[in-house]
Amino acid sequence: MKILVTVKQVAALDDEFEMRDDGRDVDEDFFEEDLNEFDHYSVEEALLIKEAAGDDAEVVIVTVGDEDTDDALRTALAKGADRGIRVWDDSLADADGVAIARVLAKVVEREQPDMVFTGAQSSDFGSAVTGMALAGLMGWPHAAVVCALEYSPGDNTATLRRELEGGLEEIMTIRCPAVLSIQLGINEPRYASLRGIKQAKQKPVDELTLDDLGLSADSIAPASRVRRMYAPEKGQAELITGSAAEQASRLAEIIKELRGM
Amino acid sequence: MFSSDYDPENITRILFRDFPTWMLIVFYIVAVIAIGVFLYGVWAQIRKYRRGVRSGAWTPFWPRFRNMVGTVLSHRTVKRRARMAGSMHAWIFYGFTLLFIGTSLITLDQDITGPLGFHFWYGWFYLVFGIVMDVAGVALIVGLLYMMYRRKWLALPKLDYTRPDREPGDPDYDRSGYRREDWAFLWTLIIIAITGFLLEASRVVWLQNEAIVWDVRWHAPVGTAIAYVMMGLGLGPEGGGDLRMGLWWFHGILALTFIALVPYTKVMHIFTTLGSLMARDPEGKRRMPSVDVDAEHIGVSHFSDFTDKYLLQFDACTKCGKCHEACPARAGDYPLSPRDLVLTLRELANDTQWKSAPPAEPVRVIGEGVNMVRPETLWSCRTCAACIEICPVGIEHLPMIVEMRRALVEEGEFDPMLQPTLRSLQKSGNSLGESKRKRPRWTRKLDFEIKDARKEPVDVLWYVGDYASFDPRSQKVTIAFARILNAAGVSFGILYEDEQTAGNDVRRVGEEGLFQALAEANIELLDSCEFKTIVTTDPHTYNTIKNEYPEFGGNYTIEHASMMLERLIREGKIPTPVELDYRVTFHDPCHLGRINGDVEPPRQVMGQLGLDLVELPRNRDNSFCCGAGGGRIWLGDPPDTKKPAELRAAEAAGIGGLDVLVVNCPKCLNMMEDGVKGTGNEDNFRVMELIELVEEAMGLSDDPAPDEDDETASETAASA
Repeated sequence: MKILVTVKQVAALDDEFEMRDDGRDVDEDFFEEDLNEFDHYSVEEALLIKEAAGDDAEVVIVTVGDEDTDDALRTALAKGADRGIRVWDDSLADADGVAIARVLAKVVEREQPDMVFTGAQSSDFGSAVTGMALAGLMGWPHAAVVCALEYSPGDNTATLRRELEGGLEEIMTIRCPAVLSIQLGINEPRYASLRGIKQAKQKPVDELTLDDLGLSADSIAPASRVRRMYAPEKGQAELITGSAAEQASRLAEIIKELRGM
Repeated sequence: MFSSDYDPENITRILFRDFPTWMLIVFYIVAVIAIGVFLYGVWAQIRKYRRGVRSGAWTPFWPRFRNMVGTVLSHRTVKRRARMAGSMHAWIFYGFTLLFIGTSLITLDQDITGPLGFHFWYGWFYLVFGIVMDVAGVALIVGLLYMMYRRKWLALPKLDYTRPDREPGDPDYDRSGYRREDWAFLWTLIIIAITGFLLEASRVVWLQNEAIVWDVRWHAPVGTAIAYVMMGLGLGPEGGGDLRMGLWWFHGILALTFIALVPYTKVMHIFTTLGSLMARDPEGKRRMPSVDVDAEHIGVSHFSDFTDKYLLQFDACTKCGKCHEACPARAGDYPLSPRDLVLTLRELANDTQWKSAPPAEPVRVIGEGVNMVRPETLWSCRTCAACIEICPVGIEHLPMIVEMRRALVEEGEFDPMLQPTLRSLQKSGNSLGESKRKRPRWTRKLDFEIKDARKEPVDVLWYVGDYASFDPRSQKVTIAFARILNAAGVSFGILYEDEQTAGNDVRRVGEEGLFQALAEANIELLDSCEFKTIVTTDPHTYNTIKNEYPEFGGNYTIEHASMMLERLIREGKIPTPVELDYRVTFHDPCHLGRINGDVEPPRQVMGQLGLDLVELPRNRDNSFCCGAGGGRIWLGDPPDTKKPAELRAAEAAGIGGLDVLVVNCPKCLNMMEDGVKGTGNEDNFRVMELIELVEEAMGLSDDPAPDEDDETASETAASA
């Protein structure tokens, strides 16, 4: 019995930053890297299932990234996952969600898990596409934005609740194995102490290349490409305070100013 | 006085006089059983303590022993903040101890040296002995009567043992058993003492016709006085003899029962407190227990994780309630009382650790079960050290709490509000979720450049701290301090982006791995810089660098800002031309005043500024925490609690005509401003940092700061 959880190390932006010279991303000096917020919840959900089953299940964490992303991987391992897999090749530097899903699909084929959890989206790019694409590539059922889950290792189906637009929710049964994209708030993620993260260095991490997975750089060519990243011009806002009369006169002033009067 | 007609060897009390042999046998059997029960109890308790992790807390033995003896004989800690009760306890202590020694001497003479042919209990020694015993008996009875009066009529809230962390109806809510035990203890002792005097009196009545007894009767003054009353009531020698026999047995059996029960009842505090006082860590309030972060597990989640010292301390608690009274969490109706925490652990120990074999499974101490410590109890603590400071018997509540928090942090089980804070600390070394880059941004508001201590030598390295760097209200104080140092011509620098929190609160919240990582990184950074001393405005930083960094190889001279200001003003480097005509009071920061004993420097500065200082009722070592410490500043306050800062603000409001409540810590500033607003006192008095008052007295505070709105606007644009 095995649950595979895919995680991503995301960039948390400083409130003052500069763009990279090629204008296609933020200069890396201006963000700090961290485990994707959503992944805290997907990892926790896998661990809760494992613990409820009396630890009779293996939780495997997978990430695609260079060695800097070991931090995210170890944070997840420190929480109680059993082992990790990190896939990297320099040709993945510009990978989009679909390309990442192609890599992950090979890992899934290799690991044969009973269930795959992803975060509902990443908190930096927010495409919410990786889980969906992975399910498509595998031909597995997929449920997005899962906010409650009933599942025990070995079950043929899982019952889950999903958030829909307009405040609706739906309860659905899904055939396993499946890919579930986990929403924030499904549980209360545990904290990984720094000591735990350091000790997680002892846990096994497989470092795989594209070759190991039988992939070539061509086969994971991204489906899309970022052309430019920039901060759009922002409109101005002003909080008008004071008595009603003062507010009205200030408002009139602004209107006159904007109309060029 | 006795005439020289008597052979001094005959001036004594003949023990067991007129006892038939069977009575003697019965008495010795009872005595041996009582001593056996006593010894078994002592052994079983020691066995319980020895199941803990060895602490080595009793070495070096002799200095610790001397210290303990001094504390016990002076009753210094018992008298503190409870003059009358402490003195009366001293009377009981000395009365009881003398009587116990007296009885032991008789036993020695009768059963040990006597059979070897050596007697000493006769003649002058016997007569002086009699007077001393009577004085001791009176002291004991007076002390006990006062304690009865105190329990019955003073009805002190701290002597109510119901648990604040339980609801009525919970099986372990009611602790009325303790109350009954208290009374049984008082009554038993007083009856033993009174029957002792009656016994003495009945002997005088019984033997009134024997000149050798009658002539020296006034060497048992209390007994003889009672004897006259008995005789006045018509008691003759024969009746006196019968009374003596009856009382002898009653007094003897009661006293032996008392001795047998010592290790099983509150009487054990006679011994456990001695052990606890000896083991007491004088640094316990300043420095949290060190631990190997590479160990299999850290912290205390099970009984087997406690050290022998803490296991003994659970039994040393006398339930006096001084910590209960001092605790800010308790005062605010949080589910914590340090006393009850210790008693909870004592009860759980007695439930689970008493049997001859250790429990098969480790016994968990944190949880929701009967007599378990609840996590919310542990998270209520402010680590202000009020409990450890006042405990008369040296119990170290604060390190116990931190040890249990460590286990909770390892398990990842705690208030969800704390997680973002700890994650922020892991990522960027501050608790406010800000980036490293933003840390020195407050310096932009200065019209001069602060030296970069990483790049050039400075005299004074200023360790700014988290709240002082990021909190908007504290930043004003930080800027003021920078201007003061600049005006005083001090060569000072800061660590800019590379400074991380010193980790006082990180350690106290229980994230030991993170604390040690921060400490090591900070020490490495400090060691790479050239400076003479460190200064900080933050008492938390001050405490940790001063007392906890040496453990990791960081040995620095560090001053709190108040000390530096006092010196600079005294040396005339800071002119204070502006007269401040304020009536002020001062809120001592726990980590400066109580924990490090630095209560005078801030007061001296206030004196130098000519402020009219009116002390708060609770000041100096008895200061009342603002509620921020131990990570509580990162956590919310449940609705059914009272914020310690509001209790403190109300205390300040009790001082009439106050202009300013002076604080001397960034966290106190944050908390007390809320406390003053929360109690509706914002129109009555202001909260100001001592540093701001110095700035005002220097006439610096009118300097226009760069327009704050512009600054905000440009930041917004940059981040848009």
